[in-house]
Amino acid sequence: MQQLLARPEFQSAIIPFTAALLVALALHKLNARAGLWALLVAFVVAAGLINGLTLTPLTGTRKIILLVVASLAAAALLPKILPGQNLQRSANSLVLALGLLWVFWAVVARMPTDAILFFLVGASALVLVLQAGFERIVSNPAQLQAAGLSLLLGVGLSATAAASALLGQLGLALAAGCGGAFLAWVIVGGASVATGLRQPITTLPFVLAPVLLGLAAVLFASLPWYALIPLAAIPFAVSLVPLKFDSRFLRALLASLPGLVIAVSVAFWIWQTSASDSGY
Amino acid sequence: MKKILLLGALAILPTKALVAAEYTVDPSHTYVSFSVSHLGFSTMRGQFDRQTGSLEFDPAAKKANVMIEIDASSIDTGHDKRDAHLRGPDFINTVEYPTITFKSTNTTWNGDKPATVTGDLTILGVSKPVTLTITAMKCGPNPFNKKETCGFDATGSINRSDYGVTYGSPNIGETLDLQIEFEAVKD
Repeated sequence: MQQLLARPEFQSAIIPFTAALLVALALHKLNARAGLWALLVAFVVAAGLINGLTLTPLTGTRKIILLVVASLAAAALLPKILPGQNLQRSANSLVLALGLLWVFWAVVARMPTDAILFFLVGASALVLVLQAGFERIVSNPAQLQAAGLSLLLGVGLSATAAASALLGQLGLALAAGCGGAFLAWVIVGGASVATGLRQPITTLPFVLAPVLLGLAAVLFASLPWYALIPLAAIPFAVSLVPLKFDSRFLRALLASLPGLVIAVSVAFWIWQTSASDSGY
Repeated sequence: MKKILLLGALAILPTKALVAAEYTVDPSHTYVSFSVSHLGFSTMRGQFDRQTGSLEFDPAAKKANVMIEIDASSIDTGHDKRDAHLRGPDFINTVEYPTITFKSTNTTWNGDKPATVTGDLTILGVSKPVTLTITAMKCGPNPFNKKETCGFDATGSINRSDYGVTYGSPNIGETLDLQIEFEAVKD
């Protein structure tokens, strides 16, 4: 069992997918935001297996784990506490800005001035584009979950190809959790399992997790920064697909296709350009 | 006048005897290397190519203080792709933690030669005590440049998860064996 739990495919795919699916199915009648709770449980379990149950030393990667957990909890809890849409948007921006500074500033501050400016402009642009993209689809559960799944899959696969299995596994675990919650939505339907309930705060973890994991893969590993450009376009690509079907399965499939094509293409490109050779 | 000079010399002599000689680590004759189990199949070896440091050494007073600062990004296992992975957040995260340091805190002696050096090894910002066993040691003038030189060979081992380097455990070995050979030249 211990050996099974140490295998990456269990840590970042099978276990988070199954956990999210089961939690979403179990909670869908009890909680209006079951999908987010499912994703939170899936990520906590997966991060515990991948990183171990330790937060010391508090490296950038461990700060990302904490922030993703906090953002999922906030997205699940805050709509009742922060009912105003503008208030939620302000909270999103504040959390994203503080999160970026907390994780990266110690490293960025040691860079030359032009590199600091490039980072600040690039990170801000990435956040704004993803926020705008997810705001377009936040009221459509199929599109929101498809975009989250594809984007996190793209970030996870690209980070893995760019010499950080740890960041990659965290991204893939989130993608698997999204997949599990998404499947629960396909099975039982209704807004109860959907992670999107027309609240801007719902977009927070879907923006924060790929931004932090993607930038960490750029700064701490060797992911080319421009790989994040096509990945940031995923929510917009997903929003362009008309979903005029009654079948939730067809809607889920169609909504996922453009994002998955972009995610897999970017990861394949990174894998090719990083001249990956396995088995070292 | 002679009395004054004599008194001055007497005043200086004991002070000089108490001050340990100071040395600077010679990077071109210093090697910090490690070995770790690779999935249980074989032993993987690597080293750090850049380090600086200092030594205070006084065998008469049985005093030795050593400080070595390693450029973490100089990790070299003879395989570029693996080195990039080791520099990343999965292992020693050299962008966030650019240096690894060792600062001695205690030395045990076997006659006039140091037998072990205990010190704080700092990796990923985490400091843990490590004891290194000195397996060889020689001090004297370098026959080529005549500079007073001391050289040491030392070994030890650490548990990488003690420093928060947990990725790939237990498949990639938990225990790292360290081999440190360094020379230091008298300032």
